[in-house]
Amino acid sequence: MIGGGLNAFIREWMILFLFIFLLVICSIFIPSFASTNNILNVFRQVSFLAIVALGEFFVILTGQMDMSIGSMVGMASCFLAGFVVNSGMNIWLAGAIALLMVITFGVINGVLTVYGKMPSFIVTLVTMNVIKGINYIYSRGLPISGLPRGFNELGMGHVLGIPVPVIMMLIVTVVLRVYTTQTPMGRSFFAVGGNHEASRLSGINTNLVGISAFVLSAIMSFIGAIGLTARTMSGVANLGDNMLFDVMTVVVLGGTALSGGRGKVVGVMLAAMLLGVITNAMVLLGINTYWQWIVKGIILVAVVLIDSNTQKENS
Amino acid sequence: MSETSRTPLLEIKDCTMKFPGVIALSGVSFSLLPGECHALVGENGAGKSTLAKCITGEYRMTEGSLFRAGEEVDLSSYSVSKSQHQGIAIVHQEFQLMEDLTSLENIFIGHYERKGLFIDWKAQKEKADELMEFLQCSINLTIPVKYLRTAEKQIVQLAKAIILDAEVVILDELTAVLQEKDIENIFRIINILKKKGIGLIYVSHRLDEVFEICDSYTVLCDGKHIKSGRVSEIDKPKLIEMIIGRELSSDLYPAFDGPIGDTILEVKNLTSKDTFKNVNLKVAAGEVVGIAGLVGAGKTELVNAIFGSYPVTNGEIYIKGKKTEIRNPMDAIRHKIGLVPDERKLLGLNMMYDVRNNTTLPSWKKFKKYRIFSDHKAEIEKAFEYNEKLKLKYRSLYQKVLNLSGGNQQKVVIAKWMLADSEIFLFDEPTRGIDVGAKFEIYKQIKELTNAGKAVIIVSPELEELIGLAHRIYIMFEGEIKDEVSGERKTQEVIINSLLGVN
Repeated sequence: MIGGGLNAFIREWMILFLFIFLLVICSIFIPSFASTNNILNVFRQVSFLAIVALGEFFVILTGQMDMSIGSMVGMASCFLAGFVVNSGMNIWLAGAIALLMVITFGVINGVLTVYGKMPSFIVTLVTMNVIKGINYIYSRGLPISGLPRGFNELGMGHVLGIPVPVIMMLIVTVVLRVYTTQTPMGRSFFAVGGNHEASRLSGINTNLVGISAFVLSAIMSFIGAIGLTARTMSGVANLGDNMLFDVMTVVVLGGTALSGGRGKVVGVMLAAMLLGVITNAMVLLGINTYWQWIVKGIILVAVVLIDSNTQKENS
Repeated sequence: MSETSRTPLLEIKDCTMKFPGVIALSGVSFSLLPGECHALVGENGAGKSTLAKCITGEYRMTEGSLFRAGEEVDLSSYSVSKSQHQGIAIVHQEFQLMEDLTSLENIFIGHYERKGLFIDWKAQKEKADELMEFLQCSINLTIPVKYLRTAEKQIVQLAKAIILDAEVVILDELTAVLQEKDIENIFRIINILKKKGIGLIYVSHRLDEVFEICDSYTVLCDGKHIKSGRVSEIDKPKLIEMIIGRELSSDLYPAFDGPIGDTILEVKNLTSKDTFKNVNLKVAAGEVVGIAGLVGAGKTELVNAIFGSYPVTNGEIYIKGKKTEIRNPMDAIRHKIGLVPDERKLLGLNMMYDVRNNTTLPSWKKFKKYRIFSDHKAEIEKAFEYNEKLKLKYRSLYQKVLNLSGGNQQKVVIAKWMLADSEIFLFDEPTRGIDVGAKFEIYKQIKELTNAGKAVIIVSPELEELIGLAHRIYIMFEGEIKDEVSGERKTQEVIINSLLGVN
């Protein structure tokens, strides 16, 4: 056990206890909450968010920021659908090309940040708008429908009673958890975020790590986009436009330090579930969307406030 | 006037400071007379900084009392701003200046001279000029601080501290980052302040300075008050003995008498635009080579260039006779070179990480199972083995390096390169900000390395250290190697002459 005993254990896994606590509270006080159907639906909804957030997680971990994830989700969605519907491509080939496209922008984000020494905030703000422009030019702002019916299974199907997107989220979480804790490359993200120069002088390929973070972010956006597109069965240019706020909330709520170097894959996934439960509870209580935005804003401020102050204590 | 009849500017009685689980100070008492420079000495972690913080009000002492000019200070409401009003100021080792503001602005920040609603720049300028004249310094106060030299920044910090008519000034490791020539200047200023009747508390690791500038001393060891007295009544070996709490075995530097093998590293005509040119040097197995030079001579840049972390425009590096391309630290580590950098906290360690991950960082790829996964168990075992070998004082491998003392942090950096199987060790100011006891252990470790057939290059601003450790010393002056001394020519005198470009 890591030094500090029970106290440290509780602090490390605060998010898990918070999640369980909230589940219990909602089950007791909101009658319609505790049905299997509702809970599975909540988890299905947040699984897309969780997957995209796990990509942003790597970028934040290295001390950078990726604003372009929403546009990348849109790009993957409308190009995948467009290639299949308009160009009659095989769905696998269409997926591969769409993936390549978002990865290209991930590499551009990474190269401009790492070699161009530009602030990632600016770089990704620019690519966010560029990608958005490309999406709208290609789709003319219209949803592209007509995807093969079987594709819908990815978004709405079940395996052994569990929604497919939830299974996707669990697989992504397990793979990334193993990657970040059990492989030298995965561990390097923490090292680079914690102290870039010391890591470089210890032989870590900091440039590769920096670019990889943006590429991972792009890949996760793609996977999330696949699920979302399969659910709505159409390619939509602005599919991810409102995601950035929730993604940032989830990454920080999951215990990731905004200054980089500290965070947990499982924490981010749990945070997505937590946010999903909160949103669902608000919907069931009849709180409208605009109030939900305000509540979520307060949550984000509170979490960052706690994060900044615990960091002060640590140093 | 006899000394006893003067009222001390500051008096501390039985100061005890407890933190949860730790007693940082217990029963410390001393007094500071007007015009006196009082040295506060002890190893890292002995409680010097804590004591200084108790005096400035940053910490509130748990027990004890504080008297300012004979009057007892109410400790229950004591704070940093109260201590400033009482005329107590501190000058920190680290720069606490706003780099983009001018010195003038920096000096007056927080207590501007005003004319109605506005800042009275003219009055500020006059007051600052007056102060500079008093300190007999000429610094351009109207350019941003970032353009000043390190030594000038220190003086601006000092000016900022005393502009409020401070009577008690604490100098916390002021000279740690300065060169000899600049230290002379600081001493001159200290003497001016002393003459004015200001009392100074001088925190330093450099014991020679204590004997040069201080009148009285207080030794702390593990938070306990060992002794206070007059500097004139004590000598250096006795002081060291008190500081480390035991008798120092005859010599600080171990005898380097092991066999010297074949040349491992040879550098030919190494040039980097503007910083150094045509550098030739070599180092053999079991040999310690020193590099001496003033600030700006290019020493740090040179060792970084060998390590691949500073750009090289020309020249060759040979390792065991084979020409080797070193483009980045990854290449260097592959060729078994390790760098112990000068800025331990910024470059040597990841302060947020624990001991184990800092020790194993360059070697992560070596410990693998099933070809792709990290072998955590093997890593932990090796990290334990090497840190034990270096006699690291730590609670656990999972302790953050942030909580280790400077000397122990440096040991982690050395352990890191031993674990990475380095054969060539580059030390850039390995004992900067480290106390005598830890220095001794690092010297011993360097000897162990040479016994094991490793090649060592050391850069240090302390000539005594280089003379004590190195078989040969290269002397750099303005980016070029001017001289190489060994044997009988390895003396302070010869080196200083070369350093300054004489002959």
